[in-house]
Amino acid sequence: MGTAILGAITGMLGSFAVLRKQSLLGDAISHAALPGIAIAFLITGAKDSNTLLLGALVSGLIGTFWIRGIITKTHLKSDTALGLILSLFFGFGMLLLTYIQKQPNANQAGLDKYLFGQAATLVERDVWLMAIVTGICLLVLLLFWKEFKILLFDADYTKTLGFNTKTIDILITSFIVLAIVLGLQTVGVVLMSAMLLAPAAAARQWTNSLGVMVILAAIFGAFSGVFGTAISATQNNLSTGPVIVIVASIFVLLSFVFSPSRGLLFKQIRFIKNRRDLELHKTLAFMYNIAETHEDITHPHAIKILNNFQGFTKGTLQKLVHKNYVKLDGNMWYMTEEGFKTASNLYNQQTTGDNE
Amino acid sequence: MNNAQIEIQLIASLVAIACAIPGTFLVLRKMAMISDAISHSILPGIVIGFFITHDLNSPILILLAALTGIITVVLVEYIQKTGLVKEDTAIGLVFPALFSIGVILIAKNANDIHLDVDAVLLGELAFTPFDRLIIGGIDVGPKALWLIGSILMITIGLLFAFFKELKVSTFDAGLAASLGFSPAVIHYGLMTVSSITTVGAFDAVGAILVVALMIAPAATAYLLTNNLKRMLAYAICFGVFSAIAGYWLAHILDASISGSITTVLGVLFLVVYLFAPSKGIIAVLHRERQQRTEVSLLTFLLHLKNHKEKSERHVNHLNEHINWHKVRSKSVLELALKNNMISIEKNIVSLTKKGDDFTSQAINYIITNEDAQIEHMKDDFFLFRG
Repeated sequence: MGTAILGAITGMLGSFAVLRKQSLLGDAISHAALPGIAIAFLITGAKDSNTLLLGALVSGLIGTFWIRGIITKTHLKSDTALGLILSLFFGFGMLLLTYIQKQPNANQAGLDKYLFGQAATLVERDVWLMAIVTGICLLVLLLFWKEFKILLFDADYTKTLGFNTKTIDILITSFIVLAIVLGLQTVGVVLMSAMLLAPAAAARQWTNSLGVMVILAAIFGAFSGVFGTAISATQNNLSTGPVIVIVASIFVLLSFVFSPSRGLLFKQIRFIKNRRDLELHKTLAFMYNIAETHEDITHPHAIKILNNFQGFTKGTLQKLVHKNYVKLDGNMWYMTEEGFKTASNLYNQQTTGDNE
Repeated sequence: MNNAQIEIQLIASLVAIACAIPGTFLVLRKMAMISDAISHSILPGIVIGFFITHDLNSPILILLAALTGIITVVLVEYIQKTGLVKEDTAIGLVFPALFSIGVILIAKNANDIHLDVDAVLLGELAFTPFDRLIIGGIDVGPKALWLIGSILMITIGLLFAFFKELKVSTFDAGLAASLGFSPAVIHYGLMTVSSITTVGAFDAVGAILVVALMIAPAATAYLLTNNLKRMLAYAICFGVFSAIAGYWLAHILDASISGSITTVLGVLFLVVYLFAPSKGIIAVLHRERQQRTEVSLLTFLLHLKNHKEKSERHVNHLNEHINWHKVRSKSVLELALKNNMISIEKNIVSLTKKGDDFTSQAINYIITNEDAQIEHMKDDFFLFRG
């Protein structure tokens, strides 16, 4: 249940991350949250998940804004900034974690579950927390739908319309951070970015509309959450996080291959179909050239003379017959009136030929 | 300082150098995140290699892992080429999937052997001196030292052999291609070296520190210089410094060595980020403020030139008219006075001869907008910076 909600929320927010080309931000944030968890633990000395998540949230936000600062103020590129913050924060977090482990505090065990996540540790309260946060996210999403959308696709235009782009930007980034932090407990630091990306990337293949994409991503996310948890529950010794990620990756793979308009499979089919059409046209044009030499276009010719022509097959001939461009008469063929007309228009209006 | 301590520091420094060299090129080629992806996705390669060899230091394992790294790069590029998603999304999709496979493989099969995820991700430098390479009964040093040493040798050799090619292809891929170096060969060569270095180093310092050691020194050096050779040198220095300083920090805190090395790197970067002479935050902010003042001054002078009537040139009126805050208008006024651009009589501001000339030039420049004049203008600007 918890993982389903988590999948839904990360899917929704992930759509924005993917479309804004900030895919790896999720990765960076989830790593950057680690020192926050450790510091929160050091300060309070208790393993209350809410305080820890608060710490994670704060340090995730610091990481995000530092990344921003590096990109805008120096000539370092975004990938460098991301990698830098990611590894530095994570290293610092590890330092703190190992430091905590040496402390005489019985509570410290189990902090490292944040590294890989374990859905089994979710208690009812955590699920409620997730549900509430998801509700708030949904509300804000609906309220600022137009603003988010416009910012996503044309930031400059948004500015000229008088929206405060900075505020919207910060708002959406904060929500992404929030979703990531929530997910830490379930799938862990390392794999959180996939939770954010995979559903959104899969959804992107099926639609061009933002609304549909967000909903689809939420569904994909929820399903991978449920399936992943179910699979990991049936097997011993299998952490939830990796399984969820694998399930989500399979969704992505399927989407890549089978989506109707962008998928690889249909692209290939279209490609082949186009090539066939082209061959058909070539054959037709060749016939046209022959037929042109005679006054009577329906003058019959031997099929044999077509054999030397590249791109000619029995299939294409059959197709031409089928389309009523050409008529067969034993070993001879002759062009119909219609075929002649189409062929003569072939190179003038390529488009009409494609639509036949 | 005993023998083991020296050895740890030596290993850490060698890893730092070995990472800094490919790291510099990765940062310059805007592929820093690839190193992160590689460091994660070599995990299945390591696991499979471990099943075959049962030895974490065997060369087969390293080759297998490096191969996985290259597969990652190829996969990322393939997904990107289909045009379905952007490059960063492709990276973000590939490496968690591979990493998950690795984690699951470990969880399913390797429970009883010495190989756990923490060790892969974090590494433990402190134990490296105990794993010794013994040739003919003679103890010749820790295995990790030899491993990383040989990787470093190969890297340095390749660097010297292909320095020119790397340089050209990094900064101008088109030129490199037209000169006859295949960008693809260099690209995959670099990726191979990065993968091998990552694999060689992960055992000692863990996957995350590898990323930190690759990116952070290079990024820090990039803030300080634009010269490739100098950048390499700086990156190596930073790496070694933080390796040794990090070791001692860990010693004091009794915490993970790789974590503290990363922390030192982070502090180093923060310091440079803030204080670097021309690209640091403070320098940038200072420059931005200076430019803002210059523009304000120019606006102010233009306003004076446009309005001959006294009411428009009253000090208080200027405040409202150009809509500056009091503080700024005061500072601009003082700056203009200092440079003898204006004179103030009974709160009425007027341009001096020099100010008038300057403003005419400025107008001339703004109208014609020719490059030839901007050089001259710049000289004038330097006047009132002082």
